[in-house]
Amino acid sequence: MSLIPHVIVIGAGSTGSATAHDLALRGLRVTVLERGEIASGTTGRNHCLLHSGGRYCVNDKEGAIECIRENLILRRIMPHALELNDGLFVAVSDEDLAFKETFLAGCAECHIPAREIPVRQALEIEPFVNPDIRAAVQVPDGVFEPWRFCASFLATAIKNGAAVRNFTEVKDFIFQGHTVTGVTVLDHRTGETETLGADMVVNATGAWAGIIAAMAEVDVPVVPTAGVMVTIGERFNNMVINRMHLPHDGDIVVPIRNTSIIGTTSWRVTSPDAIEIPREQIDSMRQAGELLMPILKAGRQRGIMAVARPLISKANADARAFSRTFEAYNHRSQGAAGLVTISGGKTTTARGMAEKVSDIVCGELGIDAPCKTRTTPLVSYREFYN
Amino acid sequence: MNLYRPDLKRFRFLRWFDFRSWRLGMIAYILNRVTAIGLVLYLYIHLAVLTMLAQGPSSWDPFIRIARAPWFLALDVLLLAGMLIHGLNGLRIALTGFGIGVRGQKPLFVALMIVAAVALIAGALKIFAG
Amino acid sequence: MSITLTLRILRSRRDVMPHYETFEVSVSDAANVLDAIEQVWAHRDRKLMFRHACHHASCGTCAVRINGREKLPCIVPVADYSGKPLTIEPLRNFDIVGDLVVDMAKFFQNQQASDFVITRPTENELVGKPIAYTGGMDPESASTIPFNRFENCVECGICLSACPTMAGDHKFFGPAGLAAIKRQLDKTTDPVERKRLLELADGEHGVWRCHSAWECTEACPQQVFPAESIMALRKEITKKHFRELFGK
Repeated sequence: MSLIPHVIVIGAGSTGSATAHDLALRGLRVTVLERGEIASGTTGRNHCLLHSGGRYCVNDKEGAIECIRENLILRRIMPHALELNDGLFVAVSDEDLAFKETFLAGCAECHIPAREIPVRQALEIEPFVNPDIRAAVQVPDGVFEPWRFCASFLATAIKNGAAVRNFTEVKDFIFQGHTVTGVTVLDHRTGETETLGADMVVNATGAWAGIIAAMAEVDVPVVPTAGVMVTIGERFNNMVINRMHLPHDGDIVVPIRNTSIIGTTSWRVTSPDAIEIPREQIDSMRQAGELLMPILKAGRQRGIMAVARPLISKANADARAFSRTFEAYNHRSQGAAGLVTISGGKTTTARGMAEKVSDIVCGELGIDAPCKTRTTPLVSYREFYN
Repeated sequence: MNLYRPDLKRFRFLRWFDFRSWRLGMIAYILNRVTAIGLVLYLYIHLAVLTMLAQGPSSWDPFIRIARAPWFLALDVLLLAGMLIHGLNGLRIALTGFGIGVRGQKPLFVALMIVAAVALIAGALKIFAG
Repeated sequence: MSITLTLRILRSRRDVMPHYETFEVSVSDAANVLDAIEQVWAHRDRKLMFRHACHHASCGTCAVRINGREKLPCIVPVADYSGKPLTIEPLRNFDIVGDLVVDMAKFFQNQQASDFVITRPTENELVGKPIAYTGGMDPESASTIPFNRFENCVECGICLSACPTMAGDHKFFGPAGLAAIKRQLDKTTDPVERKRLLELADGEHGVWRCHSAWECTEACPQQVFPAESIMALRKEITKKHFRELFGK
């Protein structure tokens, strides 16, 4: 029996992967449990946008500051899995132009490096952007690849001794009194059910956090909010093209590899599994994208995807108005000691989320180990399979 | 037959014959293998016949009679087809192997097979007329 | 509008022999085949094992065979099959982990063998002229850095499944791995590294094992052209051997 505490991380999306890496780096024994393929939930079907924070710098400053901080860290620790071509915020209408000063002030306040470039120069760099734009601001956006993002974190965790079990679904929690001491899992590879003991369990299941927490009869105020994205089979821009206004439906074109992703919409769903895509949303998405880049009309539609983001409910507001920041919950006070939940946030801030939840885990276990993920370069995602 | 059965793992080449996945390149690949087997078999038959003929004039005359039978002539046409397909397809593989005609390998295959068909018709006419 | 679709899925597990199971699901007419597979999982059988992540042909995890052809189901609309039943099978020439999931370990080892970097400098295919660009705006990287791209290859394994040579020789390096060597060769000018890459591609289970079926290029969903890369490598290797023959 090892004296090193064993921590189970449920979920191998961006949060779970980064948490496994963080805890393994702090010297703990880590087992990641994922019911399917890694990144098969929200992380996989996201925008692939490495946020500069520009999108949130006016109405969600906390989220924006997290974004730019994590953006700059990820550039250092996983340069091999990023397309770093910056982003361009363009003003399409008079209202957008009027918003420019607010936007620049927001960037400055959140310490997001932003610089206005003349419209003519912007159109020279990005010739397929709507020629009627009124202003353009360059910010350090980037593009990541969701599966490789998670696999990079997991590969590094495995190198540091973690075990990753995908296709292994958590079915129930094991309690001793008011303390979670393990989980019951179903291994889909073998069809067998087994129990795994743990000193701490981290619920990193994002939009599914509420469902998992309910198994332990505790509450997590997470609201699964779906969004649709449309992929065009051609690439017309080098940089990420954003519309310069408060985040809205279909106001961003993220180029990745040889495709462009237009997104996104936002509506609440009851179950985060296998969301049906409303056809009218696809059309409205394409129209909104064409306003930014008229040439997208000529592009052939390649894929469509919808998934639920985990939004943390803080007030009864419109889905867009929720903060995109994250929250960690220690369920000790709810009668489930040994269980913590981390949810909300974005893939860009996954490392920061991992740091926060790992601090709580170490605090609960009485371990004094500092977080080292800010400066530790990740190994290649391919080593996930070694 | 279910070719995914783990106990058939050693016979994975059987998957060549999953016709659902046959495209032009796969057809060329299979043709090349089938004709190769045919040509090798022919070489052994040829050797056997030569050994037989080497026994003297007594074996020669019956052989000529067989060789003039229509069914034997049909086999000659089959042999010619095998030679043309295998030879011309081999030419394409050799060329593309040296980086020549890489982008046009499909039209090249079609063109060479048309050449093979024309030569085969001409050859067949000659065989049956002669 | 939603349509009803019949999916015949090859199921297997460590302790279950491969067999077909038929499911009927209702999907939107705008859905892709991957959505239909996910519907089977969500509403018919939660034990179904399949890989998926990005749903837009970027991660390369979801590759399966649809009606005998290797595809990325995330970008194949169900409408392409106009309501006909679909047979979904895992990729060929890989070991099956369970249901539609295959073991990618050896594949990724081969991809890694050439130190294939998944990003590349852009060749400016969009604009046709070089752009003066100072990316990052990080004071430390103030020098002009070019735009970059992910490589076209998403490492899905489709080419290995389509390759008839792979079916006969499981040690074959595979079209994706050889194409990766070619890309890496294009990116490096270091003679030592170039020599290492060419030696990796040479040999019994390397480029010479290919028998020119061109199925990899046909099946590739991402314009990687592995067969063309193999031919280009053969040319390079032949040149190298000729030079060595004359002592250069």
